Order: sequence, then C-alpha cells, then structure tokens
Amino acid sequence: MTSEALALPDRKKPSAHPLSTAQLVVGATLLLVIAATASLALGPTGISLGSLPRAIASALGMTADASAAREQLVLIDIRMPRTLIGMFVGASLAVAGAIMQGLFRNPLADPGLIGVSSGAALAAVATIALGNGIAAPLLQPLGVYALPVAAFVGGVATTGLLVLIAGRHGQLMVGTLLLAGIALGALSGALTGLIAYASDDRELRDLTFWSMGSLGGSTWPKVLAVTPFAVLIAVMTPALIRGLNGFLLGESEAFHLGVNVERTKTIAIIVTAASVGAAVAMAGIIGFVGIVVPHVVRLLAGPDHRVVLPGSALLGATLMLVADIAARMLVKPAELPIGIVMAGIGAPVFLHLVMKRGIGGME
Amino acid sequence: MFLRRVYAFETLRVAVATALMLVAGAALAGKTIVDGSGRKVTIGDTSRILSIGGDVTEILYALKADGKIIAVDTTSQHPPQALGTKTSVGYMRALSAEGVLSTNPTLIIAAKDAGPPPVVSVLQSSSIPYVVVPDDRTPEGVAAKIRFIASVVDAEAAGEALAKEVEADFALLAEQRAKITAPKRALFVLSVQNGRATVAGTGTAADAIFKLAGAVNAAGDAHGYKPLADEAGVELAPDAVVTMQSGRSGPPSDPVTSVKALADSPALKQHKIIEMNALYLLGFGPRCARAARELMIALYPELPIKRASAEK
Amino acid sequence: MLQASSLTYQVGGKTLVSKVDLTLVPGRLVAIIGPNGAGKSTLLRLLSGELRPTSGAVELDGRALGRFDAAALARRRAVVPQATALSFPFTAREVVLLGATVPGFGVASAEIEQMAMGCLRTVGLAAIADRFYTHLSGGEKQRVHIARALLQLAVADREACASSILMLDEPTASLDLAHQGLVLEEARRQARGGRAVLAVLHDLNLAAVFADELVLMCRGEIAARGSAPEVINDALLSRSYGCEVRTNTTPGAGIPFVLPYTRRN
Repeated sequence: MTSEALALPDRKKPSAHPLSTAQLVVGATLLLVIAATASLALGPTGISLGSLPRAIASALGMTADASAAREQLVLIDIRMPRTLIGMFVGASLAVAGAIMQGLFRNPLADPGLIGVSSGAALAAVATIALGNGIAAPLLQPLGVYALPVAAFVGGVATTGLLVLIAGRHGQLMVGTLLLAGIALGALSGALTGLIAYASDDRELRDLTFWSMGSLGGSTWPKVLAVTPFAVLIAVMTPALIRGLNGFLLGESEAFHLGVNVERTKTIAIIVTAASVGAAVAMAGIIGFVGIVVPHVVRLLAGPDHRVVLPGSALLGATLMLVADIAARMLVKPAELPIGIVMAGIGAPVFLHLVMKRGIGGME
Repeated sequence: MFLRRVYAFETLRVAVATALMLVAGAALAGKTIVDGSGRKVTIGDTSRILSIGGDVTEILYALKADGKIIAVDTTSQHPPQALGTKTSVGYMRALSAEGVLSTNPTLIIAAKDAGPPPVVSVLQSSSIPYVVVPDDRTPEGVAAKIRFIASVVDAEAAGEALAKEVEADFALLAEQRAKITAPKRALFVLSVQNGRATVAGTGTAADAIFKLAGAVNAAGDAHGYKPLADEAGVELAPDAVVTMQSGRSGPPSDPVTSVKALADSPALKQHKIIEMNALYLLGFGPRCARAARELMIALYPELPIKRASAEK
Repeated sequence: MLQASSLTYQVGGKTLVSKVDLTLVPGRLVAIIGPNGAGKSTLLRLLSGELRPTSGAVELDGRALGRFDAAALARRRAVVPQATALSFPFTAREVVLLGATVPGFGVASAEIEQMAMGCLRTVGLAAIADRFYTHLSGGEKQRVHIARALLQLAVADREACASSILMLDEPTASLDLAHQGLVLEEARRQARGGRAVLAVLHDLNLAAVFADELVLMCRGEIAARGSAPEVINDALLSRSYGCEVRTNTTPGAGIPFVLPYTRRN
C-alpha cells in the first residue's frame, strides 16, 4: 500500500452508531451507579441513605438503639441484598440474551430458547405443588432454599438434556438446538400446566406469583450463593467476544476467521444455562430483559460484542434495579411482581427506539 | 467476614434488645408466649397491630381490638370495614418485607400460611414480635385460636366470652347433627374451568366443614384438591354441590352446571347448588359454627334446626 | 504451499469430490472452473480446512490441515465465501474489521482501522464505509467480504513468516463488469505479491484472462488442467458442460474466450 492510501484524515470514529464503545460503557456504568444508589436509598419505610452510618453502627453492635436496629434491618438486611441480587439477575439475563442472539444469529433469540426458563419453571412448580407431599423428604431439608435450588437444577438439567439431543454427532448443531429447545420448552410447559391444574387455590396463587417474578426474597445467603455464578459469567464471557463476532457471519465464516466454533458454542451454552438458571432461581421468571437490553445496546453502539456483552450487563442491571424500585414503591406497602413492571417500562422505551431509528439497518 | 459479624452481632443485638424489652416489659406487663409455630415470642406494646389472615382479623374485630389494627392483608374480608378502612399490605402469601415494616407495627399476628418464607424470615428477625396463630380445623381449634389471640392482645376476658360462645354454638351444632338419620353426600367445588371441576377431597377445610355440617364428602376418596374426571364424577352422585360465591378474589369460574360429570347427579337435577362466602365457610373463624349450621340447613331443609340465639 | 493428494469427499452415499490432486504455490492464481454440481465449492471447503476429507489428505507446508487449529489456519489463509446472511446492523467498515477478529488480536486498533480503510479502498468502497451492510447491493456486499479477507491476510502478514493463501468462492457472481475486473486484478496482484490464490469461477472468460492455471472439474473429478489455451477448447468444454460451445482467441493477445454455441455464432 502506498503512503497516500494509508493516510487517514481524522482519528475520531465516524458515527454510523450514535455512541462509541467507550461512551456506552461509561454512560451505562454511571447509570448503574445512580440506580444502585437509588435502590439503596428508596423504599416504603422512607429510610434513606442518611441513616447508613447508624445502620452500620448497629450491625457492628456499637449501638443497641431500636431505631438504628430498624435502619439496619431495612438498609443492610433488606435493601442491600435486594440491590445486589437485582444487579446480578438483570446483568445475567441481559448477557444471556446477547449470547443467545449471537449464537443463533438472530436478534429475536431469547435465553428461553435453550429451555432454561421453562425447565426452571417446571421444577419450581413441582416444588410448590409437591413440596409438602411426594417430594417432601427431598425438599424439606433445604428449607427456604428448596425453591431456588430446584429451579436452578431444573433449568440446568433441561439445558443439559437439550445439549445431549442436539450434540449427538459430536458437533453441536445450532439448528437442532433451536428446534429441540422449542420442543422441550413445550413439553415443560405442558407438564407445568398439568401440575398447576392439579393444585389447589393456594398453590396456584403461589405459582402465579412466582412466575411473575420478585426480588422480595433476597437475603445475604442468597447473595453468597450467586457470587460464584457472577464470577463465572464475568470470567467466561470475555472469551466469547471474538467467537460471537465471528459467528455473526455464519459458522463456516467464523471457522475461516479462526474462531474455535465448537468451543465457542460450548462456553456460550454453559454461561447461558448457569446465569439464567441462577437468575430464575433467585427471582422467578422475568422476561423481556434478555431480548430488549442487547437490542438497545446494538441500536446505540453497534453489534460488536466487545460493547454488546459488557454494555448489556451494565444496562440490564440498571434496568432491573429501576424496575424493582418501581415494584416496591408504586403500590406500597404491597409490592408489584417485577416481571410486570419490567414489561411496562421496557416495552415503550424499546418501541420508541425502534421507531426512531429503525432496527439499525435491518428490515 | 462481614456476614458472620452481622449475624453474630445480630444475635447480640437481639439478645440485648430482648433483655431490655423484658425489663421494660415487666413494667409494661409484657409477656413471653409460645406461638403456633413453636417459637417463643415476647410481646410488648400492642397498640399497632398488623393482622394477616382473614380469620385472624375477624377474631380481632370480634374481640373489639380492631382499634389497634393498623393494617391487614387482602384475605381479611370480614368485616368489610377491615379492608375498607385499614391499609392493605397485599396478598398474604406475597408480602413485601420492607412494605410490612413501613406500616410501623408494634406487633404482627399472622396466620400460618403467611409468606413467602424468606420474607417471613426477615420479619421474624426484626425487633417486631411476629406471632404465628395456631391453626387447627376443629371446634376445639377455633376456640383455642380465639383464646390465643385474646391472650396476645390482652383481651382475655373478651376472648373467654367469645370462646365460650363459640363452644356453645358448636355444642348446639353437634346436637343438631345427631338428629340426622340419613347423611347426605356433598361435593365442594373449588372452581370450574372449561367444564371441568376442581373438588375438595380429605385434608381440606371444606372436608372439615362438611363433617361439622353432618355431610358426607362425596369426594372422600381423593386427598387434597383434585380435578374431577368425567367418569369418576358420574359415580360420585352428590346430593348437593357447595361452591364459593364469586367475589373479587380468584379467577372467574364457569357455572357448576357446565360440568358434564355432574349433569346426572341428584345435586344438579334438583338444582341443589349451595353458594357460600369463602371466608365464612372455610375460614374457621368465630362464625364457623354458624356457617356449618347454615350449610346443614341448606342440606337438610326437612330437619327442624334452630339457629343459635345470639347472632349478629 | 498447499497440497491436496487423492482428495475424496463422500456424504450421504454421494461422492462429491473424487481423487483430486491439486497444488497451490505462492505467486500463482489457480482458477477452478466447471459446471454446477461439479464439486468446485466442496473442493474449496476441503482445501480451506472446513470439511474433513473422507480419504486423501490436504497438507499445508507438509503438515496435515487437521493438525492446525482454527486460529493457526486463520493466520495462513483467508476465504471469501459465496454468500453470507448477516442480520445485524454492522457497517461495511465493521464487517471488514471482522477479518481481524483472530489474527489481529493484540494489534493496535488504530493501525487495524487504517489497514481496513486501505482494503476498502482497494475494492472501491471507501466512500460507503459507514453505510449499513444490509443496505448495500449484492455486488457491494461481495466486495466488502473481499476486503475483509484482504484485511485478514494483511494482518496475518505482520506475524507469520510463511506465505499465505487467498481463496475466493465465485467472487464475481454479483459484480458488474468494472468490478469484476477490479476484483480479479487485485487477486492477480495478491498472487504476484507472493500469495497463493485460488478462485472458483463460473465465468470461463474471466478465468482465461486472469488465471495462471485453470482446473476444469466435472462430476467431482478433475477433467483437465493447464494453461488457458490448453483447457479452453471446444471438445473438452462441450463434454464437461454438456452443451455445444465455440471457443476462439482474441486478436492480438491470443487469449481464448468461450461462447455457448447457437446458430448466431
């Protein structure tokens, strides 16, 4: 190449996308910090961050004042775990959505396609309905954690089954994965419906509320339980960036570009199953995040996974926190299921973006 | 680690708080009781009560302790002014921890079914006394429930009076029940969807009420709530079908008449479909004996059954 | 140097490629021609390492292709595919940058951006670098992929000592005359610059003009190979393509060209 051919007029990246990678990541991080602060500061009791020093003092045993104890209960025992788990659930659902969309090369793909959510739901429903009956000896020892553990196991087991079906010839066939996932999802749904049909009024209510999602059961032990998953996702996801970028052109092309196709698929499925399984176990079924958040990131900063993966995590966490604040404030002292709030907030925002920009180049 | 410290100091804090409360409570006539779940709970100030559970609220009103109630749950449907005038904390199995705390109760009296479990845990770990009401679906259980709640809110006298009234009512009911020579078969239908009914077998509140009302549970072979298969339904042949009045709670139900399995039953042929309010019939609250009697009257119109004298 | 010996590929009972021997050396542009279904694209996929042969071997510098992992192969050869479905809002520039996904990992991104612009300029697309790929015409999309492959090789050049290979699968399919010339001229230039270039072409005349060696495939086998005059003759082509053709040579340069035979010519 001649030097003339190499001369570039300016260093600023031309703006086909509204935001650069750095702008989106920094902006999303700021939003997340604001949302997390708000999540700690807002709640039906009206206790705000000004009480944090006293709450900490109470936690450390430096004061036995009753109202400080109350502040400790609210700020440290209720809001903090809720904020942390909310961030985890939002981030992992959004990242899982982005990974699925890259894997299936389809902007409408959803983590539910690999059967995680429906498997988790089936396990949760079975726990609610059979937990006091047939399954009692298995589930009672787990106490309060029976439901999350069952949901997680159900989600991961379903994905495992799916991988077995789709990976029969040594290679993971993405097309087979999709179809088998839909089939397994339908089967899980049917079994879930069957169990629900045989449940009584009270169990049905429990089921319904669980399936609409809630962060209300967040506790510090649960925070501990999800920490390894958060670490797993944080560590394994960057390894997917190059692979998923290559995947966008198709598996053959990805191979030609130097991507280890099978390893990418394997890591993608592991990360998705683990993160969605854990998220569903913690908070029930919360839809919408997995599809919408990656979309928004792509609309703003383009489809390079170097920005889509971290951006989705940050934006997903933020969105979940905002929805949770609304869930616990709008009808206080009662609480709205967060899945409903999520759809209510996210859908109009998404529609607005789509109408304004078109789906960034797609028909 | 932070958590261990939190829980260690939490225990210390609760211990200190409890000690302080015991001392103060001795001055304020506070007391320690064992609640329906076996936990020891120390009760101090009873001026701001959060009542969770339809039967719990109803008993508090009957004890004239309703002035102390600051908030109820959505199943507290009797008397109507409970939900009408008090703050609602939502459905009793979907409570919000911080939401409950924000109503600033000094005492929480809750039915066993309150949930979800993690939220109950958090509430029990707060400094607010959380009392679980014992639940036993028998006449003795109802009286015990009344006495228990009365002792919690320092209304022992009113409680004893109400409990005796209820016991007398049940005794009368038992006498009237003894007059039944040919027990009728009744079927409790929880809901109907698409022509299929969900019915109550043994181990349900409906089954217990049927026993009190002198009826035989036509679905006595099943346990819990079960959907009624078409053919099995034909064999049940109930003389009467009992169902809940469609209120605000629960999904709308198709009419019982659409259930094919029951089309040939004596109940539907003679159009003996008895609709009663859910809390009234199944709540096992103070009006329990009355509800059972009403059911009995509906089932056995030919029997001379008197209603009890003091009624409200 | 890429060497295929006795390469056979069977799937589902059908033999798509049968006992093919082929050598690609730096500095030469080899064109694979032949009718549809002759196995041209399959052969390319075997040579690129995407497919494993049923029997026979492909060796890159003496080592079997299967012993290279995907990343190592990506530093030695780039492939321009026949068609790609892309449903995400990438700009043309971003698609080109995908070429540097593996080989370019670790290279300063400013430098890669410069090289990407250079590749776009080479295929004549510098002006529309920031338009969305999905808004481009078929020909423009094709050229974007060619630029992408060029970037992949250019970036790999910086690290690899051995020469690399460019493989193109029907690169001129959707292009108009001007761009057909542009692309194949660039392919030739790449060859002259020291790469081994393989192009599957359906246009016999373009093959005749630009290729150093023609390989005629028919029903999975190599029917003939050699220079343009050797391969482009009536009898050979008529037999392979199953229709009558008339070949001729251009006055002056004496380059053979082909027309299907009708009464008019």
